Amino acid sequence: MTDRLHFKETEYGRLRHILTSPWLDPLWAVLFALTCGAVLLILTGHDPVLAYREWVARAILRPSGIQETIVRAIPLLFTGTAVLLALRAGVWNIGIDGQVLVGALAGAVAASYLVGISAPVMWAGATVAAVLAGATWASIPALLRGRLGINEIVTGIMFNYIAISMTAWLIKGPLGDPAVVLPQTRLIPVEMRLLTLGGTRVHIGLVLAVALVGCLGWFLTRTVAGYELRATGASPAAAAHGQIPVRAYIIVALVASGAIAALAGANDVLSTKGAFQGEWNPAYGFVAFALVFLGQRSIIGLVPAALVFGQLSYAADVMPRAADVAPAFFGVIEGTLLVALAVTVWVRSTSVGRSRFGRGAKA
Amino acid sequence: MNTEAVITVLLSVALLSAVPLALASVGEAVGERAGLLNLGTEGIMLLGAFTGFWVSLESSSLGLGLLAGTFTGGVSGLLFGLIAVIVGADQVLLGLGITLGGSGLTSFLFRETFGSSQPLLPGSMARPTGGLAEALPIVGPALLGQPWFFYLAWMIVAAVELMLRGTTLGLRIRAVGESPVAVDTVGISVVSTRMLAAIIAGALSGLAGASLSIVELGFFQPNVTLGTGFIAIALAMLGRWSPWRIAAMAIVFGLLRGLGSGLQLIDVSVQSEFTRMLPYVGAVVALLLSGRGMRVPSALGQTWVRRRGSVRVR
Repeated sequence: MTDRLHFKETEYGRLRHILTSPWLDPLWAVLFALTCGAVLLILTGHDPVLAYREWVARAILRPSGIQETIVRAIPLLFTGTAVLLALRAGVWNIGIDGQVLVGALAGAVAASYLVGISAPVMWAGATVAAVLAGATWASIPALLRGRLGINEIVTGIMFNYIAISMTAWLIKGPLGDPAVVLPQTRLIPVEMRLLTLGGTRVHIGLVLAVALVGCLGWFLTRTVAGYELRATGASPAAAAHGQIPVRAYIIVALVASGAIAALAGANDVLSTKGAFQGEWNPAYGFVAFALVFLGQRSIIGLVPAALVFGQLSYAADVMPRAADVAPAFFGVIEGTLLVALAVTVWVRSTSVGRSRFGRGAKA
Repeated sequence: MNTEAVITVLLSVALLSAVPLALASVGEAVGERAGLLNLGTEGIMLLGAFTGFWVSLESSSLGLGLLAGTFTGGVSGLLFGLIAVIVGADQVLLGLGITLGGSGLTSFLFRETFGSSQPLLPGSMARPTGGLAEALPIVGPALLGQPWFFYLAWMIVAAVELMLRGTTLGLRIRAVGESPVAVDTVGISVVSTRMLAAIIAGALSGLAGASLSIVELGFFQPNVTLGTGFIAIALAMLGRWSPWRIAAMAIVFGLLRGLGSGLQLIDVSVQSEFTRMLPYVGAVVALLLSGRGMRVPSALGQTWVRRRGSVRVR
């Protein structure tokens, strides 16, 4: 302890104190990932300065870039919320991809039946359908985990692959639009899609997503059920000792997580995509994990983290034309970012990590 | 084509396609036995598949490519070990990062190296002809007419089984996944045992990727593994971390995958999307049936920290 107090009194100590603040961890992780990206660019004969300058100029500093970043952050906010909820109960929902697909398909089918009535009815109907589908889909791995103790990571991955094939199969068969050759549901006309806000491309899905994040925060910190859910995640044995139905909370958390993830699918169908297409797979799942840990597993951190990944997704579309950098480059950035985050999580959460690499998690 | 010829070809293809799956899954099992849950298998397979393919193409030697893939996999495993065992980071997160990064890196490097061209390996691996391979109907080509690597791969699987069961190293790997504290107490290094397991696991996954791109396909393309790495993780659990059970599961899985194309070839009208789903459904059902009473290595996914003298749960 005395060492640390002493540190704070010198210039170096103060600087070190600021630079090792846990709040800056995500920043260091992002910088690490960007540095790895720059090294990769140099090794493959690109000019990293030019590439990064083009990135900032074309994808960040333009109004279209900012709007597109927000639009792409919306489904990520849903999936991030889903991951975080399960994680707080101590389980890993790796089945996000499948839940998104099932939700998108159910939402699109509901929308194609309701498209004739009115836009708000269609939105609500599609949302409800997606939530029900996502919850149902997630309930199988959830029950396997809660009842039989079968690892939810493995079943989640299997259910992702089943969902990809199943939705493609259903869309080719009974659920597709017979009027078009392509395997897809009936296209929602542009004027029936989610309302956009103030002449921008950002739509009201954002409001729902942010509200959902707020609700999750309220639920986890202000309700008894939220407390018991967190207790389950923190220490199942201690929670069970305190008469908390641990298995029930694990099942409920995984099912609710699936329902929330499905909203991302409905959101995309009702806004940017307009229909469910066969073989469509946005692969929001892994990104959602990276996002949650970039936000330091905090509820409020979801929002800026979703914006970062929304930006990465947009940059992957812009950069091939702007600076001849393949979209896969951003996969490398996301991967190295996750690895760096895995290290920072450990540094902050264990005593050995803290003593080796700086200050503790409680700041 | 008559039905018999179709079955002959399908059996042969299915058994060959079981090889990458079995190798990756056995690798994952070695890691998990030592307490390391590596979700990066898919990424390591892709790295092995790309380097293996690239080296084979440049050197026009298939064997050298397989070695290169194994080496890349070993280095990736070393990296996973360094961060997960020595630094002590969260294994699930790290694994997902390796998968994302490996997929991105190989896709990026493939585009950088080959542009939009799709090169094929000039020669495929020699297959034994004549003799029993052709004399035996239906199963002959599948069992006796495969490329030499096919037989080497199953020998490797058998060797890992023997290693885990009958050697000191195998005992240490199993012990370190059950009770790192006990291993440490008797004076064996938990860290080096786990590092060794991580390297072996990575090397096997890299070899699995290389065998996919070099022996089975003869080409590489972005995300060519199509989730094989993740199926391997499920198979490791299904086969209860025992290589011979995993090998059996991998063959069943390969046959299930082949079933879809088989039904189409003999004009049964089933959509490919539907049959593609079957192996995964089968895996879940098998998990359901074997789920009760399955004993997971006790320290799976947990970081061992010496100072506190106990295992830290993530």
